[in-house]
Amino acid sequence: MNQAHSVPLLEGHALVRRFPGGAGVNGIDLAIAPGEVHAIVGLNGAGKTTLMRLLLGMLGPQSGSVLLDGVDIADAPPQVWAGAGHLVEHPLAYPELDVRANLQVAARLHGLRRAAAADVAERAIAEFDLARYAGVRASRLSLGNRQRVGLAGALQHGPRLIVLDEPTNALDPAGVILLREALIRRVGAGAGVLVSSHHLDEVARIADRVTVVNAGRVIGMLDPGGIDLERAFFSLVHADDVERSAA
Amino acid sequence: MSTLLGTAIAVEARKARGARVMLWITVALLGGLGALTVGMRLGAASGDAQVLAKLGPLADVEGWAGLVGVVVQITAAGGLLAFGVALSWIFGREFADGTVTGLFALPVRRSAIAIAKLVVFLGWAVGVAVLATSVIAAVGLLLGYADTDAAGAAELVRVPVLVLLTALIATPAALAASLGRGLLPGIAATVGTIVLAQVMAVIGVGEWVPFVTPALWAIAPSTVSPAALVAVLSVPLVFGALTTLVWARLQLDR
Repeated sequence: MNQAHSVPLLEGHALVRRFPGGAGVNGIDLAIAPGEVHAIVGLNGAGKTTLMRLLLGMLGPQSGSVLLDGVDIADAPPQVWAGAGHLVEHPLAYPELDVRANLQVAARLHGLRRAAAADVAERAIAEFDLARYAGVRASRLSLGNRQRVGLAGALQHGPRLIVLDEPTNALDPAGVILLREALIRRVGAGAGVLVSSHHLDEVARIADRVTVVNAGRVIGMLDPGGIDLERAFFSLVHADDVERSAA
Repeated sequence: MSTLLGTAIAVEARKARGARVMLWITVALLGGLGALTVGMRLGAASGDAQVLAKLGPLADVEGWAGLVGVVVQITAAGGLLAFGVALSWIFGREFADGTVTGLFALPVRRSAIAIAKLVVFLGWAVGVAVLATSVIAAVGLLLGYADTDAAGAAELVRVPVLVLLTALIATPAALAASLGRGLLPGIAATVGTIVLAQVMAVIGVGEWVPFVTPALWAIAPSTVSPAALVAVLSVPLVFGALTTLVWARLQLDR
């Protein structure tokens, strides 16, 4: 977890994507640098998932741009995307495939050849403590174990850029620790991580930077080493809500 | 990029191999085809008035030609439903299972994934065509046609051709499942195609309507020109291209 200031892996500039009813993202700038964990925190509906969808090309912005390794994501070549790993909302775990086959499929989709994908999947099974379930169909896994498979699939190919939306959802305490250690190892090797969460304790443990999002905008930063993160978070959100209702 | 299309095909083939849905559709189609064909022939042989009415002029046709005549009538409607359901599942399940989010931000493009799905579907359809022909050949042999109508066995060729053409005209299901983001829109499009084909066939405007041509040809090959048969390929080409475009431009905005 080095506080890095090198060229960003991923940058969003003035991103806007509004949905009918007022939800969405209303002009956000954000960057993820190599060797850092950048957390975004916010209440439900604050725009965290929309922001991640915009950054990964799942949604096109109404205005603004996203650069991956300095290239607009619409023009990013396959080899650039091969260095990304993500889990947004649903894990890539096909119910009819067992855990091993799911991990092999995920590795192949990230550009690995058959033999390399098989090796990587075996290592991921060990790293995420999935050996007991390696031959079990994903349809028979608990929600937490399916999330583990999704996380393993997102991280196993050694991505330089990692984007995870609420990754601790459904994980048991052992899974939370496995994920934390897996992220710390990768960040130590130079990867950049963007993670959204509403678990402030977990964020404080791993994040180098914490950006607070409310009503589709960035309203401030939190010091991950601060004493009362929860109080600081709510005072930022409250001040923003008061300001917006006055406007 | 060609290697990544190969990767996408390998991935889609792996998913299809593991899918019980595809297995059940295959079993239901082949089992249904075999059982209905035997039932209709036995019913006709015993003089059942309802079966005779359904078969119409076919009831008097003996041997392989009579058997294949029944098979193609069943395949034209039942096969289209089976292939449409399969395509609806192949494309719609990514939305229903939520796995579509994992198909973004990859070196393998979504257009390659869509093409791979169509390629795997086509490969499966070839397998179904071979199996269906084998099942009908076995039924014919059981009925003793090897002795009574050896020369008529060439009629069997109509079965795999119709099965494959039926699979090709099911491709609107892929587009509907992709646009509607689920299985049901694909199945609805399939039912709509079946109704359209039946109505067109009844009112007699069929030869140049690609959704009707395969069935008309299979029932009475001499009534359909080869050019009309080739024109059937326009359906998979147009709907396959549109489906690929939808996947290339996909946005998770609803």
